[in-house]
Amino acid sequence: MSENVQGGWRFGTARWIVLAAIILGLFLFTGFFGVGLGIKPIMPEVFLPGEKLSEEPLFIIPFVGPFYYTNTMTGLLLADLVVLLIAFGVSRAVKSGKMALSGMSGAVEALLEALYGITEGTAGKWTKPIFSWFAAITLLVLASNWLGLIPGAETIGLIHEGHGDYAVKDLFSIGSLKVQTIWDETDAAHEGEVAAEGEHHGAAVIPFHRPVSTDLNFTFALAIVAVVMIQVFGFRSQGMAYLTKFWNTKTLFSKPIFGVIDFGVGLLELVSEFSKILSFAFRLFGNMFAGAVLLFVIGSLVPVFAQSMFYLLEFFVGLIQAVVFGMLTMVFMSQATQGHGEQHDEAH
Amino acid sequence: MEAAAAKLIGAGLAMIGAIGAGAGIGIVTGGAVQAMARNPEMTGTIQTNMILGIAFAEAVAIYCLVVSLLILFVF
Repeated sequence: MSENVQGGWRFGTARWIVLAAIILGLFLFTGFFGVGLGIKPIMPEVFLPGEKLSEEPLFIIPFVGPFYYTNTMTGLLLADLVVLLIAFGVSRAVKSGKMALSGMSGAVEALLEALYGITEGTAGKWTKPIFSWFAAITLLVLASNWLGLIPGAETIGLIHEGHGDYAVKDLFSIGSLKVQTIWDETDAAHEGEVAAEGEHHGAAVIPFHRPVSTDLNFTFALAIVAVVMIQVFGFRSQGMAYLTKFWNTKTLFSKPIFGVIDFGVGLLELVSEFSKILSFAFRLFGNMFAGAVLLFVIGSLVPVFAQSMFYLLEFFVGLIQAVVFGMLTMVFMSQATQGHGEQHDEAH
Repeated sequence: MEAAAAKLIGAGLAMIGAIGAGAGIGIVTGGAVQAMARNPEMTGTIQTNMILGIAFAEAVAIYCLVVSLLILFVF
């Protein structure tokens, strides 16, 4: 899925780039023998809801409230853009008439083929409509998860004063645009540099881009879409008979004791539909937000090597959570199409 | 006790629930590996079901995680 561009790159070149990055990291963050800048790593301020990038709302939705542009919306737009680019790229590659797709579209083809195989094994004759939901959800969540791993994603942004506990430092300016950074003051004082400019109120960076799956609004919206579509598939395959799954009075009078139990199970099924929304939403949100906080904490403890290991871990977690979200949707949808009596279906 | 200290203790205590999820994931994976060893042809199906089971078991730990994150960063 993560195709390296093998063009003019060889392992030898990549090795030197990695080595240069390690030396640069050591130079920036350590201060042995007067070599290196000795920058202290910073623990960023963690906000649970998506941070607003502007103070005034973009527009006001009647009866709902003000609508702010948050940094997770940048993540959503970028993820949408990536999915659209993939779609157009793959459709152009397919239309070009080559037998074997190469590069990015080949990777997407391999991913979709794997997903289609899983769907075929579970959904049976409903494979085609269910697969499109599975693939769409997986691609969107995957794009949004992996976009958060791009360096700079959660570090470049507006400086917001009055939140954190770091000082502001001017780096350079392009025209009237001032480029600043937040700076650990205690370290600067220790090095003997004058950084304290009478700023006792702290500052924090509000990043431009944050992966959208770390916003509970997105995961809840996606979960509601998935669960509503599960019901739609149930109705499409069984018609109104789908409702007997929840309001099961078929055996209530013919079999006195087990009928009551069946009725209670039906009501529990209704509750479980709502708990599906909760567990869908919290699973994705919890994993991705905890992953982001984990990267912050590790980066603030060990500046140079350790974080790359956790980047690898987050890479896999992002993939697994995307596939799990899609796969659970797929399995629930195919369960809804199969309904209560498979023997009933086969009798027809 | 200060409110900040109580918050940290509460966030830590909330994560106790991860014990159950850990045990559950271990049981699921152990069973799946045994099944795959006995019947290697079924590996694909077993893996799919294993991932589903892990996702369900893990959801409980994620609830704990969300609660402790809420305690730390929201309240």
